[in-house]
Amino acid sequence: MLRTGPDAEGRGQQMEAHHGYLQRLTELNAEIGRSRLDPDVGYERAAGLLAGRIGCRVEEAHTYLRQLATEQDRDVRAVAAEVLATLEARAATPPGRLRTAAAEALTVPVQQVGPGLLNSWVRHEEQTRLAERIAQTERLGNLGWGEWDLVSDATVWSDELYRIYERDPTAGPLPREESEALALPDDEPVRRQAAEAFGRGETVDVTYRIRVNGRVKHVRAVVDAVRDGHGRPLKIYGIIQDVTARETSRAKLAEVQQQLREHQASLAVEHRLAAQLQQIVLPIPTAPIDLPGLRAAVRYLPAEQASRVGGDWYHAAVARDGSVILAVGDVAGHGLHAAATMALLRHALTTLTVTTTTHPAELLAHLNQLLNASDPAVGTATAVIVRYDPATHHLLWAQAGHPAPLHTRAGATAELARPRGPLLGALPHPGYDTATLSLGAGDVLLLYTDGLIEHRSHSLEEGLAPVMATLNRVSAAVRPPPLDELVAELRTANPDDDTCILAARRCAANGSPDE
Amino acid sequence: MQRVSIDVGPDGSLEVVLRGEVDFTNAAASAEAIRAAIAAGRPAVVRVDLAAVTFLDSSGIGVLVQAMKAAAAADAAFRVEHPTDKVLDQLHLAGLLEPFGVNQS
Repeated sequence: MLRTGPDAEGRGQQMEAHHGYLQRLTELNAEIGRSRLDPDVGYERAAGLLAGRIGCRVEEAHTYLRQLATEQDRDVRAVAAEVLATLEARAATPPGRLRTAAAEALTVPVQQVGPGLLNSWVRHEEQTRLAERIAQTERLGNLGWGEWDLVSDATVWSDELYRIYERDPTAGPLPREESEALALPDDEPVRRQAAEAFGRGETVDVTYRIRVNGRVKHVRAVVDAVRDGHGRPLKIYGIIQDVTARETSRAKLAEVQQQLREHQASLAVEHRLAAQLQQIVLPIPTAPIDLPGLRAAVRYLPAEQASRVGGDWYHAAVARDGSVILAVGDVAGHGLHAAATMALLRHALTTLTVTTTTHPAELLAHLNQLLNASDPAVGTATAVIVRYDPATHHLLWAQAGHPAPLHTRAGATAELARPRGPLLGALPHPGYDTATLSLGAGDVLLLYTDGLIEHRSHSLEEGLAPVMATLNRVSAAVRPPPLDELVAELRTANPDDDTCILAARRCAANGSPDE
Repeated sequence: MQRVSIDVGPDGSLEVVLRGEVDFTNAAASAEAIRAAIAAGRPAVVRVDLAAVTFLDSSGIGVLVQAMKAAAAADAAFRVEHPTDKVLDQLHLAGLLEPFGVNQS
């Protein structure tokens, strides 16, 4: 904007401008004669028109008119009548477009500076520059402006507005009725609302759609009016912005968000079902389980991310032959499928130990057959199965692609050497080997799933180290803590995965739990 | 970069290259791509290169198992090659070094 400071020079310019302006008014007046309007109405109209023409508030136009009258020592109504006549005469001439208007000989040379008003003659080249700057701003912002003079019924459009409406500037502004007909009928409610607000004297800011040459555009319109003392609009001016790009990306974003919400909702449902299924199939005991010669504690750490709950299971029960079967397993994948496979394996193991065998390698071979015979979607699983003989304290165990149990005795923990055994559901006839161990009084055996030690950022060995350190520390205590406290101390390495931990401790020689 | 790329080698073998972290987020798509390529190409040998794989979770191992099964169904030999130490650990844990014909030099 061109601005001149309200200093001495500014005041000088102001006086000069006033003078020039009045001269011009007088000339124009002489051409067209005096206004025949009632002086009071004329005053209001003059202020309104003046405000519209120079882009200031009506109150400021009032101030300006009074200033003029004071300076000339004349009645304000007489000055107003002159101004009115002048402006009406100018409005009667075709207004043309912005640049044409800017290049016109007379531009009401009023610019707001600080709290007051300052007149300054703006040289033509400066004005052209200003107009170009405005035009550039319009292009960059996809902004156009238009004004509709209700008094003269003249409409002016800026260049960019022609571009937004894809209209040839030589054809002149689109008549108001025609431009309103371009709005999509669906947006009628917002437009009506805006029209009502406008009727109440508010500035309107509304975004709606128009169809231009078959394409839908989103336009934002900010509309204000210059009103007379009774609030009647004398002139309406609007800034129109083409916000199609913004609206299109917003619509796309909303669509994606909707899909995301639906996806999350279905994940939440799946998670709830998986968790319920797990609760039914695999209730986790809160207190240690007493078994012949053994006490066992189970801890289940669900994955932090709800969608990943699902495939870990344990088994700790007496078989029909009197041996104790301990097992932990992990189904590949997460969610309902994994939970269903988990249920399948756990029930099968229980059934097999009652009906068929308690031999760990045989049990794994059966489970492997079961997975291979199932739907391919069932996938693979890992498991470790231990048979404990309470009479001999002898352990026989086998594993299928599963981490080896940890054995802790008086402050020293070792990972058991794994017998051969590929994971379940991969091969038609894998062989499962077994290993043995004698469990001493107070010894702890820890079965776990890989969530305890596996993390994508470190090796399995690195994941195992803190677990072994915890076991060493806890078991070295003079009075080792209860088993459930021991498993509670173990931190899971991978919060992305659910983790199942089963710890078993041999009871004291007298047969009672050693805790 | 694509998680899985599949080419036919000069000897007519199917060369599968897996990259990055192969886990439950991409396992199903990778497995299906490999299965379809084996079914369509009927190669005599399927080789899966794991040199660029940084991590396999159980679903990622499932991809290899499904590839092995698809190869078996097509009477093709199946081999997993160039696992990093970490992936080698994981394949060892799963008991799959031998079935995958991994050379443990």
